[in-house]
Amino acid sequence: MRCARSLVRIQSLRALPGAVGGTVQPAAPRNAPPRNAPHARSLTVRGPCGQALRSLHTGCVLLKNRPVATDYQEKSEREGGAGKSLVTYDDLFERAALEAKTKATFNQVLDVFVKRDIRRRGHVEFIYAALRKMPEFGVERDLEVYNKLLDVFPKEIFVPRNFIQRMFNHYPRQQECGVQVLEQMENYGIMPNVQTKVLLVQIFGEKSHPVRKYQRLLYWFPRFKHANPFPVPHQLPEDPVDLARFSLSRIANDLDARVTVYQLPYTDVRETGEEVTQPYVVGIQSPDQRHLLAKHNPSRPVFVEGPFPLWLRKTCVYYYVLRADPLPPEEKVEEPVDPERCFYYPLQLELDLERDLGDNDSFDVDEVDEGLVFAMCMAGQGDQATLAKWISGLQETNPILGRTATVFRLESGVRELQSTAEPEPETGPSEEEEVLQSRGMKQ
Amino acid sequence: MSLNRLFIFSKYVRLGRRLLSPRVTQSGNEVTSYLQSERFFRTHTRKLAYAKDLFLGKVNKEEVFPYPEVSSEELEEINQFVSPVEKFFSEDVDSKRIDHEAKIPPETMNGLKELGLFGIQVPEEYGGLGLSNTMYARLGEIISLDGSIAVTLAAHQAIGLKGILIAGNEEQKAKYLPKLATGEHVAAFCLTEPGSGSDAASIQTRATLTEDGQHYLINGSKIWISNGGLADIFTVFARTEVVDKDGQKKDKISAFIVERAFGGITSGKPEDKLGIRGSNTCEVVFDNTKVPVENVIGEVGGGFKVAMNILNSGRFSMGSAGAGMIKKLIEMTAEYAGTRKQFNKSLSEFGMVQEKFAVMAMNAFVMESMAYLTAGMMDRPGVPDCSLEAAMVKVFSSEGGWVCVSEALQVLGGLGYTKNYPYERYLRDCRILLIFEGTNEILRMYIALTGMQYAGKILTGKIKEMKKGNVGVMLNVWGKMLRDSFGSKVDLGLTGKDGVVHPSLTDSAKMFEENVHFFGTTVERLLYRYGKTIVDEQLVLKRVADVLINLYAMTAVLSRASRSISIGLRNHDHEVLLANTFCSEAYFKNNFWMNQLQKNAPENNDDGIKKIAKEVLAQRSYICSHPLDRTY
Repeated sequence: MRCARSLVRIQSLRALPGAVGGTVQPAAPRNAPPRNAPHARSLTVRGPCGQALRSLHTGCVLLKNRPVATDYQEKSEREGGAGKSLVTYDDLFERAALEAKTKATFNQVLDVFVKRDIRRRGHVEFIYAALRKMPEFGVERDLEVYNKLLDVFPKEIFVPRNFIQRMFNHYPRQQECGVQVLEQMENYGIMPNVQTKVLLVQIFGEKSHPVRKYQRLLYWFPRFKHANPFPVPHQLPEDPVDLARFSLSRIANDLDARVTVYQLPYTDVRETGEEVTQPYVVGIQSPDQRHLLAKHNPSRPVFVEGPFPLWLRKTCVYYYVLRADPLPPEEKVEEPVDPERCFYYPLQLELDLERDLGDNDSFDVDEVDEGLVFAMCMAGQGDQATLAKWISGLQETNPILGRTATVFRLESGVRELQSTAEPEPETGPSEEEEVLQSRGMKQ
Repeated sequence: MSLNRLFIFSKYVRLGRRLLSPRVTQSGNEVTSYLQSERFFRTHTRKLAYAKDLFLGKVNKEEVFPYPEVSSEELEEINQFVSPVEKFFSEDVDSKRIDHEAKIPPETMNGLKELGLFGIQVPEEYGGLGLSNTMYARLGEIISLDGSIAVTLAAHQAIGLKGILIAGNEEQKAKYLPKLATGEHVAAFCLTEPGSGSDAASIQTRATLTEDGQHYLINGSKIWISNGGLADIFTVFARTEVVDKDGQKKDKISAFIVERAFGGITSGKPEDKLGIRGSNTCEVVFDNTKVPVENVIGEVGGGFKVAMNILNSGRFSMGSAGAGMIKKLIEMTAEYAGTRKQFNKSLSEFGMVQEKFAVMAMNAFVMESMAYLTAGMMDRPGVPDCSLEAAMVKVFSSEGGWVCVSEALQVLGGLGYTKNYPYERYLRDCRILLIFEGTNEILRMYIALTGMQYAGKILTGKIKEMKKGNVGVMLNVWGKMLRDSFGSKVDLGLTGKDGVVHPSLTDSAKMFEENVHFFGTTVERLLYRYGKTIVDEQLVLKRVADVLINLYAMTAVLSRASRSISIGLRNHDHEVLLANTFCSEAYFKNNFWMNQLQKNAPENNDDGIKKIAKEVLAQRSYICSHPLDRTY
């Protein structure tokens, strides 16, 4: 018993100096001018009683700008009145959007909100509204903006002070809002940085839900960063020829494959006044494909088929393939290995023994016989005339095409659709085409 | 109920019959196979099957014991040849200058011609020296002191004129060999093309018959032709159209003797090479070169066989060449190691330096033993097929040579790296040995597959029975395994009563026998596992070839050392020491490789190796992130 009591006494004694230290520390940030420094410091020097001076309720920035802030606050009170609903915050952004939808105006709106009210009333609604508006302003991938948005939260109020608060969900609405910000970052693949952490710790405390979310992000994001072996860049090439070049080499996935531009796009006005446009034609073919095409039986036709869609993030492009029908079984002859082929060693053993089952590591794969694809292309227009140019271009390197019948099997002349595709009124679009176009429009 | 019992009973009966019958058939088989093998050895006593028999776990000791000897007269004759050649090479050949100027000076060439070194193996009736393979190997030891000269001479006579020598008819021999033997004409061997190294199917050079049917017009280009700029006579391989027995026209390879005088031949600029810089290597272009039909070597369309025979026969001398080089290097470096002092000790007192000399001596000894054993086999009457052995000699000596030259250079440290000493030149020169006359990789395939084919033909029946679940054969195999696992001693008759190995080498001989026995079972197991698909298991084949090379090397040293002790050659105790050391080293390596061969691909790292290579090759680059990269 006595032993236990003395232990308790020692503990309480030990807590004392911490409390003393704690009262001193929070004073430091008040007169520290740089904006980021106080956040960092409060992260590193968090004594057990760090929240002793929490009566301040606001971040240092606000303290510094107090006169301005009150000014704004008065103004906004005059404008909107006391009860701010969600709609008014949308309004705030829409008004800014009239000017220009840029990062600068978005930041301006955040600044206005921060300065308007020392208590930051309605900040949760404001943050939700801001999150919704971010893609509109084109800042949805900007870490700086997210950090600024988190800075809207008042500091240190939501940090639980005792074990009961810590045990239960302290300020759930605010925490949820903080998580939401992080979630949006996650969805856009934005990796939070150390400043984000500093802010979150300042706002919600060490083991709050947003900080946990932050930790999870930091745990998984780096691991999944290179999970996709075929990453698509966020910024696709603008030029359709470059885009076609990129997409074709992406589909072909053969390091030997060579992209050839058969025709560059250009628009020309003739003397008669009629406008002549030439769509681009870009094709890809690998040496292996050329080799296979050379071995193709010219009495069988080859087909130009398409368009087939390829999605690159939010852009859809269409490509065409040159292919043959699968060989009928009677024409499939396995070429016997010529015994007089290798000067040095036998390429084949004359043995009547097969591989033992124990060493047969191959899987039982049901292979579907498909026709060979000899080349692929993308074109500005999907009509036969344009694709015929591709074929004639291919003919230069594949003379066999001159002797082989080429059949065009095109599923209605869909124009290549990209994010900014416009409907074509002149061609009567078939049903399928309409579906494709509307999909393109939506993107 | 009774019906059921009847059924079961009938099953037993059937089983019993099956249990009985295989024994009968099997024993019958054994009798026939015994007879066959008996007959085989009788009729083919001179058709050598030593290395191939190792694949069956047999040691055909009559072939390799005792170590081949030359008669005293022959020895005297060879010594007469050797001393002037040695003098010439030590006094008149300036290797440094040859390397620097990338040209063998004409006076050196003339000296070589006067010594008759351009026709070492050309029969005397055609004006050559008419030396045997053993003597050729002996001269090779000296010639190899200069890489450029060795390659020039080898390109001339080991492959260049070999076609005429082994497959040419009398007229061709009489017409061309005399001038080639004296060195008046230099020969070159034109096989490699830009698109064809060892693949006959991609040879593009074409020979078309003219309308009068008297000439062929050869068109095409050949690359990396040794002596391409000097040669007057070319052995050219080209595609010709041949009507086969079904009446179909087919492209086949034919060999032609082409004189530079026929016209239409242009030689390109000599290649700037890493080593053997004094030898002339260049592109040779044939443009409508008119070759008379009588200049076809062998028959039209038979060029493939000619090429294979030429390539297979030229390799054995590399062993003695490598040994000659290393012996010279040991002399030079030993002098340095004995005089150079560090910490008041000469280099020769340091263990790690001593090890280098031991490695060099051992390699030289093994190479020599293998080379002269093979040469001796080839010199026996009959037409022995020693291509497998020759390939093993080539692989072993080229790799051993490379290691030894590098070690010799290492003894000198920084000095060896400078051009003031010849070591860097030796290093550059001997790098080619791993590449030409069939790269070592290709030769390993040849070694392993030839043996596998031989063993497979004999073992197919047995393996098939095993796969069918023939109890008799299985029991036999299990019994053998059981006996092996209880550690029964393998006795293949090298030691003991009818032994051929000297008692002081008994331990080594036992190790060798054990290895051979294990190798036999390993090969059988591999054939059981892979069957004919073993062709695609290159990593397996590589180990098989390596084990076989070691086995052959062990044979050679055992045989040679036994002879040396028995006849009391000088320093034979040193030979015994070398032989025992090499054998125990090789024994451990062999056991390691064969244990790996017993395992499946995931366990012996083959899968991992293949996967690494696949991933790297798919990207065609080193794909790891940089160690300093970060993701956040």
